[in-house]
Amino acid sequence: MTMLERLRARHDPKRPLVGMSASGQLGYGVIAPAFEAGVARKPDFIGADMGSVDPGPYYLGAGVMATGAERTKRDLRMLLLGARKLDVPMLLGTAGTGGASPHLDATLAMIREIAREEGLHFNLASIRADISSEAVIAAQRAGGLLPLGRIPVPTEEDIRASRIVGQMGTSGFVRALEMGADVVIAGRACDTGIFAAVPQLLGYPMGLALHMAKIIECCSLCCLPGGRDSILGHLTHDDFVLESMNPDRHATPLSVAAHVLYEQDDPFSVSEPEGKLLLRDAQYEAVDQHRTRCFGAQYEEAIKFRIKIEGAQRLGARAVMLAGSADPVVIEKIDEILRDVETMTRSLYPHPFQLYPRVYGRRGVPLFEGGIREAEEIFILVECVAATAEIAKGAMLSFKQYCLHHGFAGRLSTGGNLAFPITPPELDAGDAYRFSLYHLMDVDRPDDLFPITLEQV
Amino acid sequence: MRLRDAARVLRSKNAGPLTVTLDLMFETRENFERAVQSPALSAAALARAYRIPAEDVRVIPVPLALAIKVVLPRPIVAGSPGDTDVYGAQQHRPLMEIEL
Repeated sequence: MTMLERLRARHDPKRPLVGMSASGQLGYGVIAPAFEAGVARKPDFIGADMGSVDPGPYYLGAGVMATGAERTKRDLRMLLLGARKLDVPMLLGTAGTGGASPHLDATLAMIREIAREEGLHFNLASIRADISSEAVIAAQRAGGLLPLGRIPVPTEEDIRASRIVGQMGTSGFVRALEMGADVVIAGRACDTGIFAAVPQLLGYPMGLALHMAKIIECCSLCCLPGGRDSILGHLTHDDFVLESMNPDRHATPLSVAAHVLYEQDDPFSVSEPEGKLLLRDAQYEAVDQHRTRCFGAQYEEAIKFRIKIEGAQRLGARAVMLAGSADPVVIEKIDEILRDVETMTRSLYPHPFQLYPRVYGRRGVPLFEGGIREAEEIFILVECVAATAEIAKGAMLSFKQYCLHHGFAGRLSTGGNLAFPITPPELDAGDAYRFSLYHLMDVDRPDDLFPITLEQV
Repeated sequence: MRLRDAARVLRSKNAGPLTVTLDLMFETRENFERAVQSPALSAAALARAYRIPAEDVRVIPVPLALAIKVVLPRPIVAGSPGDTDVYGAQQHRPLMEIEL
């Protein structure tokens, strides 16, 4: 019997289906006491989200994980041992931070290593989420590429130079379980897909399943006080109940309702590839001090398939400079100083480079113009991006030295304009990327975009 | 009453790399209602506080959560060179100054 057949055979429709979310950011450290408490409750499946677009374009573009290898493997080991002990599906979404092939392959390698070390045998499904640039270009030419906000229109050259992933929905996980998987490791995936697949296969209402998935993917973040401990969702055909596995984190009606706002631009509707979760009629009710019951969410199936795609494009190598100043004349004139020193550096250094200064204490943090006060001292971070690391660093070195000794009207500080906190104050900072794509793409058959491989481990 | 005294949570965060959302959460229905009705939290007033065009600001009250969500387009795509706040987690400061 496959895992899915065993799940169906074991499933008692009079009992709630119990899903456990082990981690909302696998690889930073799964909190052991709550995880063990969750496993002791014998959930019907264990899932975890492993990635996000939040940390920026670097991880997707460079094909590396944001988490450390040792801790990531320990987290994967905890989940794998827990799921195999209970003989329940383990479902992992957005493998390796970015969810593209290099991230997925690195995660799969860890899974195989752990299986070998622990003597585990199971059917492992991996789902790729890479989207070819040609498919994106074809969609753009056909008018089927819709930006999800303000982003420069990508040229075909930009698209070809980008590493691109698409977010799979529930169907990837559903197909992998139908193929006989015990463990599913998916590339870029909607958080909801991880936790709504088993409920869908067992015939639970999709509105409730997706609503529960949306909340538990962040683990105990929906609680008061919020945290990263494992959480259980007890799903019936009428409602679901949230229960943190940390006894000090309480899911309250208010904390859960508030959590639904988190990182969403629309609090009443969440679009997924296969349909839309509608939360206008969602309600939250305390079961006791620790648990909250949720019901009322609706689901609307999509008429046209659209997937969200993300693309990261390398812009060049990067160097940075770190410096401070406490001189009120320098602080007052800092914009002018940086501008003049940039002009000077360009005249001395013939290669093309881009400079991006931030002045902390004078609008270093805000993205918007409003609500700023000036500080007594400033910190200057200058980012330099150029074709090679040598050019970026070379420009940064000249910039630093001319900035230190730049003469300007009203200057008193002829010993130097800057305070360097470390030596050297100019550092190589790897490669710079940008999101070239954050779009919805029309697709005819989403399943074709997310191919599944099943292997026996 | 200052917004920062009326609110339980004043936070900002990206909703994807192209959008920043501000969540204003209140402990009591009374403070939530006061905030929802306050002209200081209209789209036009928030646009002045952030110095952006009023048509860029969406204000969405969520009564069940005693919360107000404000949605703003990011002036720079998250993580691009020159960005100042990759997660958008420190863009709530202008809210601190608001009087309800």
